[in-house]
This record gives sequence, C-alpha cells and structure tokens, in this order.
Amino acid sequence: MPPRIPCRAHRAACPTPAVRYGIRLQRRLASTSASAPDIYDVVCVGGGPAGLSLLAGLKASPITNGLKVALIEGQDLQKNRLPKDASLDSFSNRCSSLTPASMRNLQEIGAWRHANAARIQPYQEMQVWDGVSDARISFDWDTARSLGPRTPTQPTTIAYMIENVNTVSALLGRLEELGGVDIFASTKVDAIELGTDTEQLDLSSWPVLSLSNGKSLAARLLVGADGANSPVRTFAGIPSRGFDYSRHGVVATLNLSSPGWGGPDHKIAYQRFLPSGPIAMLPMPGNFATLVWSTTPERAAKLKSLSPADFTAMVNAGFRLSPTDLEYLHTLPSGQAEEIAWREKHTPTNERGLPVRVTDVQGGSVASFPLRMRHADTYTGERVALVGDAAHTIHPLAGQGLNQGQGDAAALVRTISHAVQSGQDIGSTLALESYNEARYAENNAMLGVCDKLHRLYSVESGPVVGLRSLGLRAVNAMGPLKGFFMSRAAGGV
Amino acid sequence: MKPSDSLRAIRPIQRHLTTPSYRLIPARPAQAQAPLFASATTPVSPIRFSSTASSQPKESSKSTVDPTEVSHFNALASSWWDPVGPSRLLHLMNPLRHTFISRCRAASSSVSSNSNLRYLDIGCGGGIFAESAARLAHTASVTAIDPTPEVLKIAEAHKRRDPTLAAPGKLTYINTSIEDLPQPKTPQEGYDIVSLFEVLEHVNAPGPFLEHIMPHVKPGGWLVLSTISRTWTSWLVTNVMAEDVLGIVPKGTHDWAKYVNESELRDWFYGKPGWGELKTMGVMYVPGFGWKEVTGSEGWGNYFFAVRRAE
Repeated sequence: MPPRIPCRAHRAACPTPAVRYGIRLQRRLASTSASAPDIYDVVCVGGGPAGLSLLAGLKASPITNGLKVALIEGQDLQKNRLPKDASLDSFSNRCSSLTPASMRNLQEIGAWRHANAARIQPYQEMQVWDGVSDARISFDWDTARSLGPRTPTQPTTIAYMIENVNTVSALLGRLEELGGVDIFASTKVDAIELGTDTEQLDLSSWPVLSLSNGKSLAARLLVGADGANSPVRTFAGIPSRGFDYSRHGVVATLNLSSPGWGGPDHKIAYQRFLPSGPIAMLPMPGNFATLVWSTTPERAAKLKSLSPADFTAMVNAGFRLSPTDLEYLHTLPSGQAEEIAWREKHTPTNERGLPVRVTDVQGGSVASFPLRMRHADTYTGERVALVGDAAHTIHPLAGQGLNQGQGDAAALVRTISHAVQSGQDIGSTLALESYNEARYAENNAMLGVCDKLHRLYSVESGPVVGLRSLGLRAVNAMGPLKGFFMSRAAGGV
Repeated sequence: MKPSDSLRAIRPIQRHLTTPSYRLIPARPAQAQAPLFASATTPVSPIRFSSTASSQPKESSKSTVDPTEVSHFNALASSWWDPVGPSRLLHLMNPLRHTFISRCRAASSSVSSNSNLRYLDIGCGGGIFAESAARLAHTASVTAIDPTPEVLKIAEAHKRRDPTLAAPGKLTYINTSIEDLPQPKTPQEGYDIVSLFEVLEHVNAPGPFLEHIMPHVKPGGWLVLSTISRTWTSWLVTNVMAEDVLGIVPKGTHDWAKYVNESELRDWFYGKPGWGELKTMGVMYVPGFGWKEVTGSEGWGNYFFAVRRAE
C-alpha cells in the first residue's frame, strides 16, 4: 500500500484541508512567494511501487532521462527497505501477485535484477472454488490449452508472489543506480497551489508545492502517486467515486507443514469464495504462504483477537468447513482450535485439492484493512496525472491492485516519452490525453469484473449459486476459454 | 468559397486535378502573394491582391500579405491554444511534423550535425510548432515569424508559461512577413530547418513566395512544408464538410483555389539547381484515431513535402 502523504494545514489563512485544496484557482499572495519556486519537469508525490516505477521508467529511457524530476515521500525511504541479508524465515504480510506483464516492465526498466530473488515465489497453478457448492476451477498452463499446439516458449508461471517491500527496494535500488532524481524523503507536502504570473514567467497553470522542509517546487507535470486519499487528486479537483464493501481484508504470514502438494517447483495458489468474501492463500518461498481473507469487519476483528493456535485453526477451517460451521466458529470467544479439530473429523475433505495445513502464524503478522472500490473520474488534468491507488482502488480478490499501478506507470512513461519526442509540453492536457485513453477503460473493466465477482459470490443460496457453479464448471472443462482467462489475468493479450 | 467562384480554379494547374482528397485541418496565417507559381504564367486576375484593404498587418512595399487572411486569423487568435478548440486538429497533427523532419534528416546523404539546430518557422501562428521545436533536445534556437499581430500576441503570452521557452534566445517571435525578414549575410548563417506548415494553401503566389524563403535555408539544411492537394474532394471535405456542415474547422479558413498539388511542387523544385532529395508523406485525419500516414495520399489529400539545399 503506498504510503500516505500527510498534508498538514499550512498557514493560518487556510484552516482546513477542504479549503486548502478545494479552491483550485486560489493564487498565492505575493508575500508568501518571496522566493521563486524550483522548476521541475515531473514532481511525483508518493514513493510507493507506482510512483517509483514511473520515476525509474523515466530515468531508464534515453528519451526522458534528461527531464528534471523530484520525488516527495512522507516516510523515510531507507527505513522501508529490505535488508540485504533478510532472513528467509520471515516474510512481510503485505504481498502482491505480480503478473508477468508487470514483471516484464520491471525487467525493462532495469529494476527486476535489484529484487531479492530468493524472496520471490512464482506459482504455476491456481485452485478456485465455490464455498457453498464446491464447484471448482483449476488454472494451470497445461490444462489451459491454447487453440494451437503448445510451444516451449509459452509461460508456465501464472504470477509471482512478492513482498511489496521487495518491489519497493528493487525500484529504489534501480533509482540509486540511475541517479538524477531529487528525492525529498521524510518530507511532507504542506500545500499545493497554482503559481503566479510574474513579469518573466506565467506559472499560473503550474502546481507549486510547499514542502515541510521549506522548499517550494513548481511542477510542469505533477504526478499523484499518493494513495487512495490522494491530496494531488483533491488539488486537481478530480472527484473519485465508489463505495466501501463493508468488508475488511485480513492478512497474515503463514507457516505450512510442507512447501505444498506440487513441491517447491510447482506452487499452487488457492482461493475459496465464501459468502462473507473470498479466502486466499498464496505461496511464498519454502514452507510459507500469505493469507488474504476478505470478511466482515466484525469477523476480521474477531480473527485478529484470536491466539496464534486458534487463528491457525480458523485459517485451516476457512478452506475446509462449511459456511455454517464458520459462522458459528466466529461467535466463540476462544477455543476455536479444539472445536475445529472435532468438526473436521466429521467433514469429509479431499486434502489433495486443498492447501497443505497451516502449522503456525508468524508473530505480529495478522493485520486488516478496509476494502473499498474507488475510481477517479479521470486520470489527468492540466499539469496533473494520477497513478496507482490515487486513481483507483480495487477489491483485492484478483490481486490486481499493484499490477494496475505498474501498468499506469508504464503507460504514463510511454505518454511522456512520446510528448518529449514531439516537443509537446508534457504537462499539457493534450499531451496527457493518451495516458487517460490507454488506462481508463482497461482499469474500469478490471474494477467492474472484480466487483461483480464479489457480488456474485456473496450470495449464499438460491438459483444464483447453481448458475455460478455451472459457469465455473463449464469454464473449467473448456481449455481454450480457460487459456483466455489466464492470459488476461497474466496481463497478456 | 466554391471552386467555381474563383477564376483561379480554372487556371492551368487544373490539369493536376486528381483523385478524391481529404482535408479537415484548420489553417495558419497566410503569407505572401504575387503572381502565382512562377511557372504558371497564364494571366489570372489577382483576386486576392488588395494591399490597401487593411493596414493592420505589417506590410512593406513589396509585402504581399493577404489582409483577408490576416483578419481571419486575428479573429481566431484567442482559441489558438484551446486543446478542444478550433485548432485541435493542428495540435493533433504537430507530432507528425517532427516525425517527418526526423525522417528527412535521418535520410540525409551527408553527415550533418545532430545538435544545435536552428529553426525558422514561417507563419508560426500561435506557436504550436515553434514551441514544440524549441523544446526538442537538439534545438539551439527557433525564430518564428507571422504577419498577424494578434496571433503573435497569443504566442508570446503562451511562451511565458514555459520556463524552457522563456530562456533567452531559445524562441524568438517576430511580427513580420518573410519578405521583410533580413536575409542571411552568408549562406552558412541560414537555418538548418525552415518550416512552412499549413501556410502554402493561404498564399496567392506560391512560386515567388518560395523564392523569398529559399535563401534562408543553410546549405545542407531542409525546407519542410505541409499543405493540401487541390482536388474536388478536398474542396468537398475542407470547405463544405469541415467548415459548413460539421463546423469543426472555422468558417472561411480555406480557399480551395489556393491549394497546391504535390506534383506541382515537385516539378517546380526539379527546376531549381542546388535543391534536391525531395521527400513527401501523405497523411489523413481519421476521426477517432487521429492523423495517420497514408502512402500515396500526397496525390489527393494532406501531405508533407521537404526539399534539401545542397551542401
């Protein structure tokens, strides 16, 4: 999740954030702009995966590496880096499933080789099933045959599980190698206002950022990579619409009894749709896995309050017991482990189709966050572009959030690159049009699909359950159709 | 104006009337006039010539700036930089101009310098091309001229919005016609790129007009222009559809009879010693997709044309 950039109220004249960002055309008083701002081509607010990917992409290309760029990040970037000798006995609970398309982009901008490869887990198979009807679909490149004969160059990897801190560290490593970015870390944006029209220069269309270190930067193009509550988006007056799912995502790092049914070289991701939301277990290196369990806020709070033994038992139960059993188990104050052990004896399961048993949960790794669906009305304004969560927030069930941000960054690099080559002002709405065109429809479709899936599987009984099960089984039986879905999920064509 | 309204529609170059054409672009301020192409010597009534009609633009005794065109573009000035305004098609076309110039320079038979290029943009209007040329990494300076005072004011004001362009000597606007621009003292003081985009179709006498321009090109440099072929479909598309029916191009922007065909330019430059390496590129505007290169369309639609001065 990209770090939030706090924006403190600046100066007594603007007491509330709403006032500060809400009035687009507010000009700075002459007395407050005694010194001229430093002029930048690109100022990126937010040093999360999307913002860093954008900057690395710009600096890695000979066309755009002459641009003067700055990064503003509220947190200490060095503190958030993965230590070189990080132990493989513990993993962060914030992980993402990186699609091959995102991975290729990281390779192209030279960041992938800076990642800690031992901590990345590719997976080759996906098992998805309906918690109510048990209808199942399995994804792997062997059963998902394309219409023609399979060629050796076709991928076997569906996606790569990677800790967000690993992605961020790789990008920071690459940026250090490339150089040429003015990084203002541990620095907050106090205010964003339009510049002034002086005798020499008319900066009245340029965003000018006042930083907590006293500096003031004028941006030809201001990039909001500043998360779901993006102050840059607020400055640009771009509305973001959506809703809360009244669901929380519970995450945790899990210890497993073995690397999995396929061994260390054939890892499997599991997702079971429960009426309260999907529970997913994604493979990490060795005997580790990461959990994403979307559920009601009450159940999320209950899960977080459990002892490690009870929590572990609940995760195992989440993939095995019926929705009714699970509902009851959430009402117990404690003692889930014993209760589950008894119930599992009376629930027939095919263990080969389920994730191997969880033996423990990594201390301190259980956390939760509210699930939201948000989409900005547009990704661009005059001298403003939004990337990543600032532009869209998606239900995590397809693991697309970070990938969308990487796709945004790559598309914005292409747009800027084209503008530079044809001498356009990279902050002009005309130059930015192609970025919005390239990303908006695609992201909107993905947001819609994930939202529909969430709704579809929230239904506990009735004809919808039968229909969705039929659909899942039908897709499962049809290799080429499955191949199509898989290549879409992998970010291919 | 319908072709039949103009005597010039039936002048000798009519033999070049070819296949249907396509033309949707709003145009830039006009420049000179005088007899038409030097080669097209058939007497034609000088319809547009009326040097006393307006005193607004700068006019020297020899200037042949068309006052009708000047007042037309004065009226359009304020919307020049509106990305969804009447000049949108020009904005969209601009990247192709650089594509074409890069292609010409890459194909040059000799090694010319790839940096510190000096541009002269004639009929610069609000500065769409001039600004973009000045921002390119290889550009030393851009001199941009236009006889229409109002659009130059817009250009100057817009230039101040970009610190890169405001750097001294980077981009200089001059309110003048090409005839009044002092010629370089030596050929080497000429420009590497002299551009003339969407201007020729507003000029009454392309031949003498080009003669005025050519001394400004440095030996080894390029004269690059874009315009429209004069065909029946270009009249239908640009004058009737774009201006009258769809209204996507401001009314009165185009005078079909002034359009110049690619073959006419080609023939004209073949007769000029010291000029060669002719290049053309036909382009077409496809709604929803933007400007696309269409091979062969230089014969009937919008096209780019370039010619190089021998070193």
